[in-house]
Amino acid sequence: MNVKMKILQGLLVTFAGLSSLLSSAQTPGVTDKEIVIGLFAPLSGPLVSYGIDPLNAAKMIYEDVNNKGGINGRKIRLVIEDDKCTGNDLLGVAKKLITVDNVFILHGGSCTAAIAAAQEYIQREKVPFVMLNAAGDNAVFPPTRYMFGSFQGTQRVYGSALSEFAIKSLKAKRIAIIVHDDDYGKANLAAAKAVISRLGGEVVAEEKIPPNISDITAPVLNLRASKPDAILSGAYPAPAVLLAQKYGEFGMTNIPLLQSTQGMPTPSVYAKNVGNPDALKNLYHTWSFTDIAKEDVKERMLAMYKKSNPDREPGPFMVTGVPSALAVVDTLQRMGKDLTREKFVDAMEKLNLNSDLMTGPLQFSATRRDALRTVEVVKFDGKSQKVMPDYYSWNGKDGN
Amino acid sequence: MSLGRQQLLIGVILVALGIVLPACVPEYFIYLLNLLMMYLILAIGLDIVMGWSGQFAFAHIAFYGIGIYGTALLHMRLGVPFILGMPLAALLAALIGYLIAVPATKLRTVYLALSTFAFAQCAAWVFRTWESLTKGPDGLRMTPTNLFGFEVVNDRQAMPVIAVILALVIAATLNLLHSKLGRDFFAVRDNENVALASGVDVKATKVWALTISAFYAGVAGGVYTLFQSYINPDNIDVTLLVLILSMVVVGGSGSLGGVSIGVVVLGVLPELLRAAPKSLLIWQEFVYGLILLLAIIYSPKGIWGLFTRRREKT
Amino acid sequence: MGLFNLILQGIISGVVTGCVYALVALSLVIVYKATDVVNFAGGELVMIGAYIGLLLLMWLDWPYVVIFLITPVFTYALGVLFSRFALEKINRKKTTSSTVLVSFVIATIALSDMLKGIVRVIPFTEEVRRLPPLFSGPPLFLGDLVIQPQDIVIVVVASLVMLMLWVLFGYTMVGKALRATSQNERAASLIGIPVKSVKSAIWGLSAMVASIAGLLLAPKLLMTPDMGNMVMLAFAAAIIGGFSSLPGCVVGGILLGIVQNMVGIFISPQAIAVTPFFVIMLVLLIRPQGFFDKTLAYKKV
Repeated sequence: MNVKMKILQGLLVTFAGLSSLLSSAQTPGVTDKEIVIGLFAPLSGPLVSYGIDPLNAAKMIYEDVNNKGGINGRKIRLVIEDDKCTGNDLLGVAKKLITVDNVFILHGGSCTAAIAAAQEYIQREKVPFVMLNAAGDNAVFPPTRYMFGSFQGTQRVYGSALSEFAIKSLKAKRIAIIVHDDDYGKANLAAAKAVISRLGGEVVAEEKIPPNISDITAPVLNLRASKPDAILSGAYPAPAVLLAQKYGEFGMTNIPLLQSTQGMPTPSVYAKNVGNPDALKNLYHTWSFTDIAKEDVKERMLAMYKKSNPDREPGPFMVTGVPSALAVVDTLQRMGKDLTREKFVDAMEKLNLNSDLMTGPLQFSATRRDALRTVEVVKFDGKSQKVMPDYYSWNGKDGN
Repeated sequence: MSLGRQQLLIGVILVALGIVLPACVPEYFIYLLNLLMMYLILAIGLDIVMGWSGQFAFAHIAFYGIGIYGTALLHMRLGVPFILGMPLAALLAALIGYLIAVPATKLRTVYLALSTFAFAQCAAWVFRTWESLTKGPDGLRMTPTNLFGFEVVNDRQAMPVIAVILALVIAATLNLLHSKLGRDFFAVRDNENVALASGVDVKATKVWALTISAFYAGVAGGVYTLFQSYINPDNIDVTLLVLILSMVVVGGSGSLGGVSIGVVVLGVLPELLRAAPKSLLIWQEFVYGLILLLAIIYSPKGIWGLFTRRREKT
Repeated sequence: MGLFNLILQGIISGVVTGCVYALVALSLVIVYKATDVVNFAGGELVMIGAYIGLLLLMWLDWPYVVIFLITPVFTYALGVLFSRFALEKINRKKTTSSTVLVSFVIATIALSDMLKGIVRVIPFTEEVRRLPPLFSGPPLFLGDLVIQPQDIVIVVVASLVMLMLWVLFGYTMVGKALRATSQNERAASLIGIPVKSVKSAIWGLSAMVASIAGLLLAPKLLMTPDMGNMVMLAFAAAIIGGFSSLPGCVVGGILLGIVQNMVGIFISPQAIAVTPFFVIMLVLLIRPQGFFDKTLAYKKV
C-alpha cells in the first residue's frame, strides 16, 4: 500500500518536472511561423457521423490556406482530438489543448450539450472557442465573450424558418410540432411557437419524444388526432425516419412534413430507410448551404475534400464543417501580424462574411454569437432535392 | 504498520501532493488527477457493495447523480455551503440507498441487478424530466463552491480539497475494512449460509453494504461539483458505471490497492491512446470491452491479485 | 380518430412489438434457467443479428429468405463460442458462487461493449440503417385501423419460433437433455449428459432466437449500434413471467408492448422511456416471483 503510493508520487513528480519545461509562451499558440489551432469533434461513439466528415472539411480548408501561403506569413498547425460528443470528454480535450498543447484558439464541437460543459472554463481562461458545426443554442444564448458558434444556424433558426415557410408558402394555419425533450427540442419548439403565433397560426399539437424512442405510434396518433395543416419535426435521424414511416402508414401523407436539418444528415439514406415513396411526397427540410442549388459549389467542395482526405467518401453533411473554418481564416487574415486572443475575439465580433457556399451572411456583433440566421427550405421527394424560393431568416427575438 | 499510522501516512502524502502539484504541473494533468480521485471514491464505493459483499448493485450511478445535483442545488437554491452541503447530499443518497436496499436485498442476484439497474434508469429519467429542479436536459450550470469564504474556481484550487476528502475516505475505508462490519461483508460474500450460521445478520449486512456504498457515491458526486461547472443528465449513465466497474475488476476487487490500480490504469489509458493514430480511435469501445472480458476470465482478482498471489507463494 | 380506435390501434401495434420483446425475453430466460447467467448482452445479440443480416444483404445480395436462415447460424456460433471460451473458463475458477454470478454478468457486459464496438468500426454503420421488410405491400385497412404486412410477418414468425421452442423443450430428446441440465446440472452430468456442450448449445439457441428478433425488428425500427438498449423491455417482460416461465415471457412481452403504447397515448411519449423500468421495480416489489411461477401446468425448461 505505502510502496504503491511512493511509486505514484515519484511518477507524478517526474511528470511535473517534464511538463513544466514545456509550458511557456507569450501568446500561446502563435510563433513567427505558425498558428496552432485545436480542432476537435466526435471521432468515435454514437454521434461520429456528425463529426468525422465535418472535421475533415475544416481540415481541408486550413490545408488549402496553407497551400496558398498561409495567413500573413504564418501556417496553420492543427492538433486534432476526439471529443466523443460528451461533456466530460470535451472539457478534458479543451483543457489538454489549452494547457498542454498551448493552442491559440479552440475550434470544434458538434454537440451543443457537450460544448456547454466547457463554457465556464473557456470564459475563465479567456480562450476563444469557435464551434465546428453544432447548432449551439444553449451555448450562444445568452451570448458570452469567448464563445462563437451556430455556423449553420441554431435550432431557433430552423424552427422559425419552417414555421414561416409553412404559414406563408404552404398556407398552413394549424401546425403540429414534434420535437425531442432535450435542449435542441426546447429551443426549436420555442422559436416555432413564437413565429406561429406572430403570423396568426395555431399550434394544435406539441409532442415531446425521447431521443431513443423506438415505438412512435402513440405520438403520431396524437399528431393525427389534432388535424394539422403541417407537421414540424425537430427529430434526430432515427426517430425522423420512424416518424415519416408511421405518418405514411397512417395515411397522413397529404400533410406536409417539415424536418429540421439534424434529422436528415444524408437525405438519400433517410429516403432509403423510410422506404415508402408515398411518405416522401410532401417532405421538406432546412439546409444552410447552396450546394444543392449550385452544382459548381458542390463540385468544388468535393474536390477539395478528396484532395485532403483521399481515403474517405464524404456524406453531404461534410460541408457543415466549412463555414466555421472560413470564419476563422477570414478573421485571422483581417487581424494582420499582431495576434492575441483578445484581438481575435474583437476581430471575430466584426465578422461579416458572405460566402457563396452559405444561404446567408455569417455575422457576429458585440451582442451576437450565432453566426447564421438565414436558411433555405428544400423539398425532397426521395430522389431529387428542389430548393424552394425565398430564404427564411430568424429575427433574433422569437423563442428567446 | 498500525492502522492509524497507515491512515496518517496516506493522508499526509495525498494532501502534500494536492498542494504541491497544482503549482508545477499543467492544469490538464491536475484535471485528470481530480477526475481520477473522484473515480477512486466511486470505485471504492462500488467495490464495497460488489466486491466486499458480493451483491450486484447497478444503482451506484443514481446515488452519484443525487450527490451532484444535491450538493449543487443546496448551494445554489438554499445557499448551503459545500462543507455542509456535500455531507447532506451524500446522506440523502445513503437514505435513498437504504430505502432501496431493504426490499432489494431480498431478491436473488438477477433480480437485484435488474431492479437496481431499473432504479438507476428511473433516477436518470427523473433528472431529465424534473426540469424545474434540475434544468433537465439543458443541464445545470453550477456556481463555484464556496469554502469558508474562499471560492474554488478552477482545478488547481480544487485539488487540495479533493485530496483531503479522498484521504478521509480512504481512512474511513481502512477502518471499515478492519471492523466487524467489514468482516461481515466478506463473510456474506463468501457463503451466505455459513455466515448466517455463525451469527451474522445477513440481511442487515447487505443493507449496510448498499447504504454505505450509496454514501460513497454521494460523496463522489459532491467532489464533482468542486472541479466541474456543468452537469447534464446524459453524463450520469451506464457508460460511466461500466467504466467504474471495469476499474474495479481490472484492478482487483476487494482491496483498496486493487481498486486504486484499476482507477489509475483505466483512467490513464485513454490519455495514452491519444498518441495513437486517429483512425484507430473507433476501436476504443471494442478494445475496452475486450480488456474487461479478458480481465474477468483470466484475472478475476485483477492486477492486484497477480501481486498478492505471488506474495502468497513465497 | 375516436379514442376507441386510438386505443385499438395502440393495442395492435403493442401486440406486434410485444411479440419481439417476447422473443428476446425468451432468449434471456432460456439462458438464465440453464446457466444462471443474466445476459446483459441480450440486446446486442439482437443488434448483431440485424447487422449481419444487413451486411449479407448488401455484400452478397442473397435472397432475403436465405439471409433469414443463415444469420441465425452465425449467431448460434457466436453464442456457443462465448459460452465455451468465456463462461466456462470463468466457471472453472471455482470461486464462491456469488462471485461467479457477478463475474458472469460482467462478462456479458463486456461482450455487449465488444459487439457494439465491432459494429461501430464499420463506417457503414455511422448512419442509421434499416432492413427492408420481408413483404412490402400495401397495408391492411380495417376501418380506421392500419396493419402493415410486416406486422403480420412479425407475429407469424415469432409465433412459429415460440412453437418450435415449445416442441423442442417438451417433446424432443435434445429438449429433455436441455431441461435436465437446467433443473439440476449435477444430476444431469451424472446420468451422462454432456453438460458443457448442452450449456453451449443453449447459449447458441438463445443467441439464435435473439438474432431472429433482430431480423424481425430491424425493418420496423431502425438499426443503430445502440439498438440493443431495448433489452430492458425484454427484461421487464421476462420479470413479469417470473424469469422462469416461457409462456410468461410471451404474455409479459405482449402486455408490455400494449402498456407502452397506452402510456404514450394517455400519459406522454416521454413517459414511455421509463415504463419498462417502472414495471420492473413494481413487479419486483409486489410479486418478485412474477405472475406465472408455478401456476401453469406447462412443462418448464
